[in-house]
Parts: sequence; structure tokens; C-alpha cells
Amino acid sequence: MTDVTLQNVRKEFDGVVAVKNIDLQIPDGAFVTVVGPSGCGKSTTLRLIAGLEQATDGTIQMGNQDVTGVEPKDRDVAMVFQNYALYPHMTARRNITFGMKSAGDFSDEEIDRQVEEATAVLDIDDLLDRKPGELSGGERQRVALGRALVRDPEVFLMDEPLSNLDAKLRIKMRAELAKLHSEFGTTTIYVTHDQTEALTLGDRVVVMNDGRIQQVDSPQRLYDYPETRFVAEFIGDPAMNMLSVDISRDGTEYEAVGPTFRIPLPEGDGLETAAGAKALLGVRPESLSVADSADRSSFAAEVTVTEPLGDSLLLECRTGDQEFKLHAEPRTAVEPGDRVALTVETERLHLFDPQTGEAIYHAAAAESSERSGVPAG
Amino acid sequence: MSTREVYTDRLQAGVLLLPTMLVSLLFLYYPTVRAVGLSFYRASLARSDVFVGLENYRRLAGSGEYLRSVLISVLFATCVVVGVMAVALCVSFLIHEIEVGKGLYLVAVIWPYALPPAVAGLVFLFIAHPNIGIFTSYIEALGVDVNWFSNGPQAFVVVLIAAVWKQIGYNVIFMTAALGNIPDSLTETAELDGVSRTQRLLRVYVPIISPTLVFLVIMNTIYGFFGTFAMVDLMTKGGPAGATNILIYDLYRTAFQFYEFGFASAKSVVLFIAVGLLMYGQFRLSDRYAYYGG
Repeated sequence: MTDVTLQNVRKEFDGVVAVKNIDLQIPDGAFVTVVGPSGCGKSTTLRLIAGLEQATDGTIQMGNQDVTGVEPKDRDVAMVFQNYALYPHMTARRNITFGMKSAGDFSDEEIDRQVEEATAVLDIDDLLDRKPGELSGGERQRVALGRALVRDPEVFLMDEPLSNLDAKLRIKMRAELAKLHSEFGTTTIYVTHDQTEALTLGDRVVVMNDGRIQQVDSPQRLYDYPETRFVAEFIGDPAMNMLSVDISRDGTEYEAVGPTFRIPLPEGDGLETAAGAKALLGVRPESLSVADSADRSSFAAEVTVTEPLGDSLLLECRTGDQEFKLHAEPRTAVEPGDRVALTVETERLHLFDPQTGEAIYHAAAAESSERSGVPAG
Repeated sequence: MSTREVYTDRLQAGVLLLPTMLVSLLFLYYPTVRAVGLSFYRASLARSDVFVGLENYRRLAGSGEYLRSVLISVLFATCVVVGVMAVALCVSFLIHEIEVGKGLYLVAVIWPYALPPAVAGLVFLFIAHPNIGIFTSYIEALGVDVNWFSNGPQAFVVVLIAAVWKQIGYNVIFMTAALGNIPDSLTETAELDGVSRTQRLLRVYVPIISPTLVFLVIMNTIYGFFGTFAMVDLMTKGGPAGATNILIYDLYRTAFQFYEFGFASAKSVVLFIAVGLLMYGQFRLSDRYAYYGG
């Protein structure tokens, strides 16, 4: 186990900048997920840590050692790939042991013992004599995990390891990965484009976009206090609604004013500077609800699409020329074309700068000390 | 196997197949049947054909010269297959690994294959000519007396090198294509695991591209027995003293220099059956050892 530190790391491919001078600290024993849309540089970042790509600039440290120019094999990392990367002509057992035997750092007894341990944990003892072609996707990924486990590396690197599995198996393997991590406690860096995986697995989640790190935080804080409009819209499904508003001030009372609505804003940092200017009001779909009767803080909207999800009714609505989504109670009697009155849970509002996209205000005051999901030691 | 009817109209399908079938019949199947038939006759240009039964085959079996030609052919073809594939595998691996100038190296390697065999033979004749060859003085500087016009083993080696040199390009095309199909993640896994380059080539790449290698073994065997005719003809004419007298050249001489068409036909039938059996054996072996997925 070790910690990993990236300092000012930059990677260019033929003039295209994939990773733009990022700084990242991954504590010893943490499970860090890196999430972002395709092409955001998350896989490149992982490959830089693995040594499969060389950084154009910046340094990568593991423990106290600078590993920036070090060969992949000397970094003591194990990687699990999206396509499993099993040698197709070798049995599962040989796939697991091939690397160890080739490297020559382990005695035969040691290898046998490690294989026994890892395969018992992963429940693949019976599959060891089969070739990858005779295994299902889930089994293959277990073998690939086994291969990574037996090497007992300092850092696990996982590049979308569950993306090729079907939905049900993915959820099962997700739970197993979490279990494995709590059992072995090896520092793990996990790249995914799936925000659910990122939030459920990571002690800390790194959100990347366009080669830059947008935010590094615990999953709940990422959801509650997005630092940028990108994070706000990327984390959460359906995405956070963004409404163009003007911030008006009346004494100590602030309001977000749109063409058809006035929403009161609870007092908080950032409002004073935002007052009188334009902003984007961020409202999560679950913070909006259909009101029984109109009152001062409610506003009217027209329903354009209804999507029954079972546990809720997703409504697409329009007010003025702005569109947004909300989760209504299931079995609410509304049809497209209906006009409804909506209320807002004002404690869950956010304001973003329309130009820079940075958060200027969160209605719920952030707790002063950040809860850290990273176990000590 | 799925049978899919592309043409619903059988007549249309037949008409489209006709040209190929005609050419095959005229230039492939008819000569084959004719050669087998001719092998039972004493046939030459001057006299009319006389049926002699198995006489030609009996003569072959008792000919020490022919037996020597068989041995030389087998040795030559084996050396060609092993030599070509060993060199081509190394070259393909290097080309596969290199990142800059890949296309340039590929073109350079494939170039000899693009030459007609006769031209390649001539080029090599001048490269390695005992008196005026471009490389000859360098090789002689190493203490070797280059005289392959009269030294049998040397002639064998020179023609072998020419044959290998000519065929490497063909092998490299297929091998680099096969190597290119191996997922990068396998290479990367091997790198992360600390698997050395040689191990990676021999333990990972070679098994995975084995179907391509089997195909190449067969193509190279055919080339070794039949495709090297022009080089032998241009460089050594089977000599000196029969040292490079491979079967295909031997039967050519029998037919077109000594005009013993019946005897030559018998030789070609034997060669056909021998190479056919060899192919069959190679296919059987490949089923056991080549990895075809699954």
C-alpha cells in the first residue's frame, strides 16, 4: 500500500492536450474513483500512473519515490482492463500465474499459496483449468482480478472493469469490489464513466472534464455541494436543472427572479455579491414538487412529457422558455399539456456564474469540517 | 456452416461461375489429368507415345540421382520454411514494436516480394556473384572463399538465402497484420507484469497468431518446393553437380531439355502426391497445436 501524488501532470498526444496540468493526491489505502465523460482524460490519467504513458510534464510520486520515468513493471501496480486482457490461449490458472512466473520474483510455493488465497476470495477455484473463451464475462473479470490480486501490488488500477458486464452482474461485482477493498485495503484508483459506480465505490470521487479536475470530494458532498456547473449537471440523474435568473435583493431578503417565477433564497455566503446580477439557478429534480394549491413561493409550469418510473413520475415541464425536469409522486394525475403549480425545496438550491460556471452560492450551508471517508492509516 | 443463397436464380449463378470454371478446367484440371495419364507412357517429341504401364515409376524408384534430388528438395524446403519464418517473425516483431517510420520499414521489407522471381534471381546473382558481386568482397574479407559456381554447399546456401530474402516480405505482411490484431491491453498487461520482450513474443504473441503461422507454413512449403524454380534456373541451373537440383527444376529439365514427357509427368505426379501428403500432415498438426479461439 502506498499513496500516489500527481503534481502538475500534463499529457499531450501530437499537439492534443489530454491531461491539462492536474494535481491529485490519493491517500494510502483509499478507494478513489475518477469519473467523467469520454475523452475527459480519465483513462489517460490512469495510464500515466501505470506508466503505460509518459507524462509530457509534471511528476508522479508513489510513496516517497518519484516514479515519473520508471518502467511500468517497476512501479508495482496491477491493472484491470475493461476487456479483461486475459491471454486467450492460456487457462485461467496460467493467466493468473504467468506474470508472476515471468517476473521471477516469486517461488513456486509462494505462487501456489497466493493463487489459492486469491481464487478462494474470488470464488473461482473451479474455473482454473478453463480458458477465457469458456468463461462468462463475469468469470473472466474475476480471473483478471485474481491476476491483479496475486501480485499483491502497492496500487490497483482499474479502467472501467465492469463496463462490459450486463447490468445485474455489474451491480453484483460492484459490491464484491467494495468488499475486496475493505478486505485487502490496497490503494485503488478506479476509472469509470458511470456516476453510480463512481459514487457507490469511491471514498473520494474525482470528477474530470476536458483534461482538468473539476472537483475532488466525498460522494455525498459532490452531490450536495458541486463546485462547478459541470459537476452539478454530471452528477445526478436526471441532471440538475439550470434556470436563468436575476438575483434581486430586498433588504436582507434575496430572490431568484425568472420571467414566470420568484423563488426566495435562504441567506448564505455569496448572495451579497451575486445580488443584482444574472445567475444560473441549480435545482435538482427531486427538490421540485407539484403543489396542491398555489401560494407565494409556488409557480406555474406546463407539463410537456410524463415518464412513469415506477417509484416516481418524471415530469418534463416548461415555464416561459425554460425547460426542466422534476420527480413527482408516483400516480400523480397529470397529462402532457396540463398546467401545474410547483414548489421548491429552497434549502437545496444552488447558484452558478453563467460565464465561468463556478458555484457562487449553496442554499444549505456546508458543514465546516469535511467528512472524510478515507480510513486513517 | 450456414448456407445462404445469394442468387435465387441458379442459371445466373452458373453463368457467373462459368469463366472461372472454364479457366480452371482448361489450365488446371485438364493438364493434371493429362499429366497423370502421360506418366504411364513413354512420350517424347520425336516418336509416337508408347504405353509402358508403371515403367516410369519403376525407373524413378531405382534412380539414385532422383533420390538425391528428393533429399535436396526436402532439405531446401525445410530450410526455406524455417529460415523465412524465423527471420520474418523477428522483423515483424520489430516493426510491430517501433512507433516511428513503421510504414517505411514495411515497404523496405516487402519490396523483394514485389519483384518477379526472375528479377529477384538476377538481382541476387549480381549481389553475390563470385567475381563482381557487391557483397562478395565483404564476405571474402571475413575469410570465406566465395566460389559458389563450383562449390555445391555454397551454391545451396546462396540460393537458400535468395529464396528466403524473396519470401520474407510476404510473411511479414501477414505477421504484422496478425500482430496488429492483438489487443494492446494484452501487451500492456505483460509489460505491467514484467514479462520480458522475448517471453512476450514467444509465449503471448506466437500462440495467439498461430493460425496465421500455420497458414504461412503451408504457403512457404509450397513456395519452397515450387516457387523457387526461377532462382535455381537463373543462379545455378541445378548445379554445381546437382547440389541445388530441386525436384521442380529436375522435372523441368527432364521435360523441356531431355524431352522425356512421360518420365517428367511421373516425376510431377510423385511431387504432387508428396507435397499433398505433407499439406495434409500440416493441417492435422495445426488442428492440435494452433489456437483458433474458444
